[in-house]
Amino acid sequence: MNTLSDSARKSLFTRGPGLGLKFLFFAALSVALMIGDHRGYQHLQPLRQWTARILQPLLWAAELPRATANIGDHLRSREDLLAENQALREKQLELDGRVLRMEALEAENARIRELLSSAASLQTRVLIAEILLVHEDAYRQIVINKGERDGVYKGQALVDADGIMGQVIEVNPSSSVALLLTGLDGSVPVAVNRTGLQTIARGSGDGQTLSLPFLPGNADVKVGDLLVSSGLGGRFPPGYPVGKVSELRHPAGESFMQGIAYPSARLDQGHQVLLVWSERPTTAAEPETAANGAADDAGPNRHDADLAHQPKTARQKTAAPDKPAAAALPAAPMPVRPAPAAKTAPALPLAPPPVKRALAPAKPAPLPLKPAPAVPRPVPAAKPLVKPRPAAPMAKPAPAEAAPATADSAPAARPGAAEPTPAPAANPDASPP
Amino acid sequence: MNRDGNAMAFIISLLLSLVLQAIALPDAITAFRPLVLAMTLAYWAIYAPEMPVLLTAWILGLCCDVLYGAPLGQYALGLVTVAYAASRLSSTLLTLPQWQGTLALAPVWALYVFLMFWIDGLTHHAADPLRRWLPLISTSLLWPLAAGLLGSIHDRRGRRGILP
Repeated sequence: MNTLSDSARKSLFTRGPGLGLKFLFFAALSVALMIGDHRGYQHLQPLRQWTARILQPLLWAAELPRATANIGDHLRSREDLLAENQALREKQLELDGRVLRMEALEAENARIRELLSSAASLQTRVLIAEILLVHEDAYRQIVINKGERDGVYKGQALVDADGIMGQVIEVNPSSSVALLLTGLDGSVPVAVNRTGLQTIARGSGDGQTLSLPFLPGNADVKVGDLLVSSGLGGRFPPGYPVGKVSELRHPAGESFMQGIAYPSARLDQGHQVLLVWSERPTTAAEPETAANGAADDAGPNRHDADLAHQPKTARQKTAAPDKPAAAALPAAPMPVRPAPAAKTAPALPLAPPPVKRALAPAKPAPLPLKPAPAVPRPVPAAKPLVKPRPAAPMAKPAPAEAAPATADSAPAARPGAAEPTPAPAANPDASPP
Repeated sequence: MNRDGNAMAFIISLLLSLVLQAIALPDAITAFRPLVLAMTLAYWAIYAPEMPVLLTAWILGLCCDVLYGAPLGQYALGLVTVAYAASRLSSTLLTLPQWQGTLALAPVWALYVFLMFWIDGLTHHAADPLRRWLPLISTSLLWPLAAGLLGSIHDRRGRRGILP
């Protein structure tokens, strides 16, 4: 039996090297490639890029089923469309209102910025990209359909409607690869929205959660605290929700607390992401990196350094007016931290006071925008975070403005909560008193 | 003619497998995604040893590496290993009934999964180990179906005289 099939398999005249030899050759080639790639030989980049280019039609083919699934959209019932239309119209109204305020806020913000003598543009450039491929297994990577041609750059941040999703790690001509937050290597400088405490969140490797490895033992953090990107290091735009603290542990004998947070962005859902152009895309080579002891690997970790060495750096912030993420955090895009940085120090004592006063009327103001949040946001848990300190006494003087919002004054806490109050926060929101 | 037809079937089936490997699946079942490409390569290695399976496996492996953003060579090594193991086993597998063949191939898939797992570990891309082994189940279950499908487009007339 065996002999029969054996003779069937073998050709009469064997040519070329044997099977085992060929296998060894290819295996050795693969191993060599892996080692080279892991060490970061640049010569392999063209190989990768060309292969990616050749595989483009294949990605397109893999995309077809989803495209055809969308054909169902053409066959929706009229009622569905009407209902959706209605919902969209309401949503638009709400957003319009918010945009109106936003313009005022931008102007306000610009003025305050001038006070702080920090220059930065408010406009954030964004681009919508489609997710082509999700690699679930090990890397938490996604492939998106925008690449070099669209101006995507390595290190660029990715957000969705609920928060920061990840970062571009490889750019091909018309597609790019991004690492999700929960990927093992991903880490983001974040601030606890309630207190302004700054720390680092990094992927915990299980694909679901973020861990906060560097929380001081006595840090003021609670379960349910919202983490927003702090923008330190310039990689990620500041003010976007990153996640929510879900668990805090204090391992015996350690001086650090450990926190677990769930990302706000829906990493597993949705087909579209927003590429955000950072205000300072060229910060990749920031000098502080060298001083960084805690961060061993490259990339976003360098923010550790920022944290450790200049905890109160004047921060730039983005109003991020044009993106849905703003919805999650009505006032969060404005976590302006006053900057007692060396340079601005003298200016500061002057600046904050007016700002602080300004803060008050701001609080109730955003309310009208919030009334019927069509989207169930992650915020409710953040609500109790209201910082009574500056908000409570000051919220009073502005009843006039808040009037239309009365019905919904409960959520009033929300914008307040979103304000990282730790200081004479410059809230651009404010109409000058 | 027969040979040309088989070459077409060879190429098309492999390209299709690559697409299937890249296609987006719902989250619930994506961990169960069978190793389509490995199965197709194994089929051709077993039933059509005259095809340049090892070279093809290596090239497709590189494509997978690029698709998945893995270190270049990782999937290439895995697929070449699968192709090699399948060719070595082919004489045995040809004599076995289908279900025994399915069982006999399970260690090959396991070897592949383990290789990927191991290299991920070496390159510090740890992942949930349990999830890593799920494809083993789906691949083993789907192997008879895949072999049947590929057998239907693969013209084995040339061998029918010899094989039982």
